[in-house]
Amino acid sequence: MSSRSNSCMRKHSPGAIIVIALSALLWSLSAQADKLPTLPMLPKLPTLPKLPPLPHNLQIHGFASQSWLMSSGNNNFFGKSSSDSGSFDFRELGLNASMRPLTRLQFSAQMLSRTAGEGSPGNVRLDFGFMDYTYFSGESSQLGIRLGRMKTPLGFYNDTRDVPFTRPSILLPQSIYFDRTRKLALAADGVHLYGEHRSDLGDVSFQAGVVRPLVLGAEAEAAVLGGQFPGHLAPEISYTGRVNYDLDGGRIRFAVSASQLNISYVPGAGDILQAGSVRFTPLIFSAQYNAERWSLTSEYALRRLEYNNFGATPNMDFYGESYYFQGVYRFTPEWEGIVRYDAQVTDKDDPHGKKWAAERPSRAGLAHTRFAKDITVGLRWNITPEFMLRAEYHHVNGTAWLSTLDNPNTGDLSQRWNLFSILGSYRF
Amino acid sequence: MITKKNTGGFILLLCLLLGINYPISMAWAIEPYEIVTNPSVNEKTLPKSSLRAIFGMRLHTWPDGTAIRVFVMPDDAPLHVAFSKEKLNVFPYQLRSTWDRLVFSGTGQAPDTVMSPEEMLARVANTPGAIGYLTKSKTDGRVNVLEIK
Repeated sequence: MSSRSNSCMRKHSPGAIIVIALSALLWSLSAQADKLPTLPMLPKLPTLPKLPPLPHNLQIHGFASQSWLMSSGNNNFFGKSSSDSGSFDFRELGLNASMRPLTRLQFSAQMLSRTAGEGSPGNVRLDFGFMDYTYFSGESSQLGIRLGRMKTPLGFYNDTRDVPFTRPSILLPQSIYFDRTRKLALAADGVHLYGEHRSDLGDVSFQAGVVRPLVLGAEAEAAVLGGQFPGHLAPEISYTGRVNYDLDGGRIRFAVSASQLNISYVPGAGDILQAGSVRFTPLIFSAQYNAERWSLTSEYALRRLEYNNFGATPNMDFYGESYYFQGVYRFTPEWEGIVRYDAQVTDKDDPHGKKWAAERPSRAGLAHTRFAKDITVGLRWNITPEFMLRAEYHHVNGTAWLSTLDNPNTGDLSQRWNLFSILGSYRF
Repeated sequence: MITKKNTGGFILLLCLLLGINYPISMAWAIEPYEIVTNPSVNEKTLPKSSLRAIFGMRLHTWPDGTAIRVFVMPDDAPLHVAFSKEKLNVFPYQLRSTWDRLVFSGTGQAPDTVMSPEEMLARVANTPGAIGYLTKSKTDGRVNVLEIK
């Protein structure tokens, strides 16, 4: 029971504690001064500036998680997971603050550090930071606007994909939430409109925006171009949106998300690449059923990826396809089990990668890098509301979502492989 | 291939459904309770969809423009479980994941958690615009009772 008492501390920031301690100290000093009436009147001291009252709607939340991964063969996922000791190279730390100075106005920001193998070295970055103004709020509907850096609304999980407590498993279904397009689809700077209408027939909500994707940095370049080049990527005007339909308070949830993310390439000196452009257009259909003990979730994604005018390589335009079925069962509020089947093909017209592998002799035997079928079973234990332990096992046929940064020699990869992982996570 | 694997999953789920008694259903047996508000709140009745939106932290203001302040008990408190299921028709885990989505995407805030009925009464009574829930025996004249249409 004692662990439960932590949650009442949820909103108390260190700042709040300092303000409280300081004001208590000042009060006690002045109280003591009142008890000494025999002293001569002191000359009037300059009054201390009044401490501003801490806005009572300031909220501070955070999380910290550490995972361990162990995989078979030479297939590395998030660090050297195929080594004898496995990999501890998966860590997520986040801290966020939000406040509502006016009932219609909210400010929110989150700093995040994510270590996940070679692709994410754990640098601290602004995950989101925006102002949210509710233009209209009535009994059954609302309409508002957000300005700043917002999470890109894609599927059920992209908005909070780096927060372990909000995920159904240690690793999100990699077919849809894999790391290569993560950089493009994580968050973007711009403006979003949002709205909601509630009725007995269910709640419809939407959010839609015009944004610039975050593409600066070597990681984004490696993810988009598959290597380092003298030039750099530049964000172009992009569009993002999602419509949600919740029936009976979320017993049944549907969502359709679509984005068009545009990036251009600015060649550097002596570059083999020309001023090309990349367009990523994901379309995701999501559905969920929530009962008391179990939840069923499925998502289907069609991802169009276009590379144009790079010169050195021919233009590319292909559709990737992925989907998963997931069942979660709550044995008790503390114990939860998960089963999932998750499948991805890089090119819908070449589901087994055979055509792709036949195109060049160097691709012989690498057809398995063009698909992945993952069967996952896992357990979640909520030790307290703040502390969670998880374990899960993946059996995977295909290597499509393995990072080339963690696996520089694609030829060493095994087509069929296993991954075991444990995660501990704390939040407040 | 896919169908076979999923069938396996469903059979497993079905076995679990039949084989395990869920302790949470004990929480249905709870003494009568009310939805309570701070006396500053003018509303005496509210549609269920608005109550859901309030506890889902998506409706932030009363019709007169006052900010709504939501107070809840911990997720596993029997009164919270009963209130969620009977008044909102949702399960506590759904509320928790809704609040987490808001907090960790920045698009909203979490409600305030109180640890006891006494604290619930005191916070709702002393916070303008507050809403919460209390068993009838713990309720007194310092808070208003809200009816759901």
